[in-house]
Amino acid sequence: MTAFVEGFVRGLGVGSVYALLALGFVIIYKATRVISFAQPALMLAGVVLVSHLAGPIGFWAALPVAALLTALLGLGIERGAVRPMVGRPAFVVAIITLGVDVAIRVVVNIFIGLDVRNVHDPWGLSTLVIGNVHIEHRHIAAFLCAAVLVAALFVFFRFSRMGLAMRAAADDQEAALAQGVSVGAVFALSWALAGALAAVGGTFAAAGGSFDGTLWLTALVALPVIILGGLDSLPGAVVGGLAVGVAQELVATYQNHTPWLGGNVSVITPYVLMLLVLLVRPYGLFGTREVERV
Amino acid sequence: MKRLASGAAVVLLAVALGGCRGSDTETGESGVKTDVGVTAEPCPEAVNKDKGCIYLGIISDLTEGPFRALAVPITDAQKAFWKRVNTNGGIGDYEVDVTKYVRDNKYNPQVTNQVYQEIKPNILALAQTLGSPTTAAILPDMKTSNVVGSPAAWTSAYAFEDVIIESGANYCVESMNALDYANETYKPKKVMAVHLAGDYGDDAAAGAKIASEKLGFQFSDVKTDTGTDKQAGAVGAILQQQPDVVILTTGPADAAAVIGGAAARGFKGRFIGTSPTWNPALLQSPAGPALTALYEQSGPWGSWGTDSPGHKAMRDALPGKTPSDGYTSGWVWSYPVKAALEKAVANGDLTRAGVVAAVKQLSSVDYEGMLPTGAGNFAGGPGGTFKQTQISKVDPAAPTGVTKVRDLFEGPTAKAFTLDKPCFEQL
Amino acid sequence: MTVATKAPRGRPLLFTSYPREMSLFPTTTRKVAFGVLLAVTALLPFVLADAELQLLATCCIAAIGAIGLGLVTGYAGQVSLGHAFFLGIGAYTASVISGDPDGRTVGLGVTNLLVWLPAAGLVAGLFGVIVAPLATRLRGLYLAIVTLGLVFIGQHIFNEWSSVTGGVGVGRPAPTLEVFGWSLSTTTASATRDQKLFWLMAGLLLVFALAARNLARSRVGRAFTAIRDRDIAAGVIGVNLARYKTIAFAVSSFYAGCAGALLFTVTGFIEPSSFSLLLSVQYIAMVLIGGAGTISGAIAGAFFITLLPRIIRELQTFLPFISTDANEVPNVLQVESILYGVLIIVFLIFEPRGLFGLWVRARNYWKSWPFSY
Repeated sequence: MTAFVEGFVRGLGVGSVYALLALGFVIIYKATRVISFAQPALMLAGVVLVSHLAGPIGFWAALPVAALLTALLGLGIERGAVRPMVGRPAFVVAIITLGVDVAIRVVVNIFIGLDVRNVHDPWGLSTLVIGNVHIEHRHIAAFLCAAVLVAALFVFFRFSRMGLAMRAAADDQEAALAQGVSVGAVFALSWALAGALAAVGGTFAAAGGSFDGTLWLTALVALPVIILGGLDSLPGAVVGGLAVGVAQELVATYQNHTPWLGGNVSVITPYVLMLLVLLVRPYGLFGTREVERV
Repeated sequence: MKRLASGAAVVLLAVALGGCRGSDTETGESGVKTDVGVTAEPCPEAVNKDKGCIYLGIISDLTEGPFRALAVPITDAQKAFWKRVNTNGGIGDYEVDVTKYVRDNKYNPQVTNQVYQEIKPNILALAQTLGSPTTAAILPDMKTSNVVGSPAAWTSAYAFEDVIIESGANYCVESMNALDYANETYKPKKVMAVHLAGDYGDDAAAGAKIASEKLGFQFSDVKTDTGTDKQAGAVGAILQQQPDVVILTTGPADAAAVIGGAAARGFKGRFIGTSPTWNPALLQSPAGPALTALYEQSGPWGSWGTDSPGHKAMRDALPGKTPSDGYTSGWVWSYPVKAALEKAVANGDLTRAGVVAAVKQLSSVDYEGMLPTGAGNFAGGPGGTFKQTQISKVDPAAPTGVTKVRDLFEGPTAKAFTLDKPCFEQL
Repeated sequence: MTVATKAPRGRPLLFTSYPREMSLFPTTTRKVAFGVLLAVTALLPFVLADAELQLLATCCIAAIGAIGLGLVTGYAGQVSLGHAFFLGIGAYTASVISGDPDGRTVGLGVTNLLVWLPAAGLVAGLFGVIVAPLATRLRGLYLAIVTLGLVFIGQHIFNEWSSVTGGVGVGRPAPTLEVFGWSLSTTTASATRDQKLFWLMAGLLLVFALAARNLARSRVGRAFTAIRDRDIAAGVIGVNLARYKTIAFAVSSFYAGCAGALLFTVTGFIEPSSFSLLLSVQYIAMVLIGGAGTISGAIAGAFFITLLPRIIRELQTFLPFISTDANEVPNVLQVESILYGVLIIVFLIFEPRGLFGLWVRARNYWKSWPFSY
């Protein structure tokens, strides 16, 4: 039972990271109908910025600064590589973001240098012990931070003018354009938001440990998450992220009992979960069912 | 010229054929036979313009692959090594160039093969081929083309390949020695191997398994994957089974995640990791205290700060570099290549086949004290495998964060062990 | 009813009958161009060095795989990121059939190419049929990412099932290129291994490309196009969606299986971590860069993507001021990787229809020359 509770809480912590990354994907998808394969690079860029800034200005100042800079990077990508492709097939744009990903990661790798890095987070590996259940502070922090950001996003989309514009553009680009919404600004902002979320998510993924260039692989887990939750659903990304995180950690806890599945089967849990959900719900848990007209 | 029998374009083809196919054996002024990758013209950055040039290729993981952090210093050290060789008079009437044919393999077998094919017509041998999946992709061709290569890996399979000139004890023997050391020091009852899949991790795990059977430990092995977010299973297994000693074969960030994660949840057993599990920057990570308390490193040779003529020469050749044992490894790995080239020149046959023949005659390589005499016995085949390992502990004051606790030794298990097939097949 | 078989003189693009427009080579120019291309291909091994031939042989195999992906993605409009999975199935089926029965990994010892190549295709095709029901339920990006899941699951299986795959980092030998005991890939007095490899692969590419072209202009091909353009509309006019999507996946996977089986014969060695997301992405890039919905586009894309790293390295000799030292920033190796990404971006931004679009542009330019349109 202890193991189950510990696994569950870890899963929520890890899942919060996935949720933040998935939110970035979904925001971009909603605004531009494109899946950005550049998210792993943005995440890595954000984490590297935090690791460089945390020394001189401290972790708490470094996190927002890095998020802001990564947002600017996202903005730059949108301007330089994605905006010229408006109206082109979504997959061509997706391949372009892949090219962006390769290029940025090589540059970021230069700044990782030869040693592993760490983000100098205040939690480290310290734990909270309730009864005999160990809960790591970093997982609580990730969960709380994700909760705050999700709430902030909710308020932004629900109440702010720009949030309304983004929702309008996601609903119907041309109608929104006709109503005076600057769709270009919506595109730009969505990439910026996704960049910032990737930076924060990545930082929590690296918290409590060290990271090197292979950290980008973590961001790929967000792909099954967004399909699981529904490509165009923000709540879906959050629920999907947490569900995948919990499932992965619980499988990791109990996988020793199923050696016939091969070693470390928890690695493919997100994908198996995604397939299972899609067999029942082809548009994910919360995705909008497309209404088709001929 | 049989192939030209096919009618039409005979004239055109005959012209084209002249240029690009085949290479003939030449004999230099000093009577040394040469074929591919050796020129009478001096190297691009020659110390002595009168000497010819031996071109060696380097295929390494230099930009975006997982071993970049080691590959870059390894490559750097090898450049410095050969520069020193050239300054000291080169190899016979030749100097050695390892800068012109450096290629990035991105740790991908297909890419490796492509770049290998690209540089193959211009090089005599490979000063470095990094990674075992990547090396395995070019190994069949290396064997048919007689291209000798120094691998940047320590898998036991290399003992069976004539064209591969490896240095130091392989992972399999290393974990046997680690367990012999643990047996004396910690008297464990339960041993666990936490390892990546493939010949790196499986090799070490197989060694730990063989040693455990011999020493009467209860053994279990847990496979894990690259990525700090993928270590939960390994940590869970460690906490569940509470082994006394864990043999760890992963990358550095993963090792820190396993050790830190297990320690944070109250684990008190020991960890012994192979040299690729260590990186000095881990000391600054949150797992630093746990590493200092629980971790020891097994390695095939002394770290950067070791006192030996070879180590000193390396430190002198790499002034101002942040110490890293990537440099040490790159430097050590170059000695057998140098020995093979010298032997080939002494034999008067610096062709590719001549170098392979020279390797087979090497019964000992002079590592300038970095490895003891007797290391580098390629004439002895798998039986000549070098079997000594050094154990180090964490020491923030040391240049690469570790100092030795046990000098190079060959434990009783390794001594009794005969390598008759690659270890990873026995897991 | 008589069918006009010849175009009126001087008006090659005036098609006077539907069969003629749909024929394999509708114009004389195409026939001639095809013949010239064949001749050049046949003679190329006399001109080029072995390393280049080997690279071109790899291109030909990649082109077979890309044609397969082009059928499902370009013609039928079902974007699949799972191609690496099917390549892997094909590679392992072939190497198991052709493998040494006494070897470290499982093998049946049937080394005949005429056995293992179709078998690899069929087994991969079977997996395609199994996956196809997903495609009938899912569309667009959902399908893409689900097929991506296949790659990850497949990779786990390939990594774990070491009796077949040899395990990560160890791998197993590739299938043997042999027909009835006659080796197709050993250097003999008449030709080197790489010359033979190139001829063999180019020949196979020709067979597979013609087959695909014929499929594309058949009833099935038209059904694919209808599904791509609007699947519901296709369904309404009587195209059985489930059936044709299944066919598309099966054929595409067959091609992938064959390509997978051949791809590793060049290096002689299969390593399980090869079948990663990166491989899938490369194939998608081939189809998109070549120009989706054409066979020649897929072939051109495959050549382009496979040759790109080499081209970049050649280009760098024109940039001597960039350091070759891996320790300095920027160095050639970093520039090489960055250029790879950047060239793909630039290419798609300026010519989203791909290499095929470039060709159409060039053709139109010369057709209307000296007028710009």
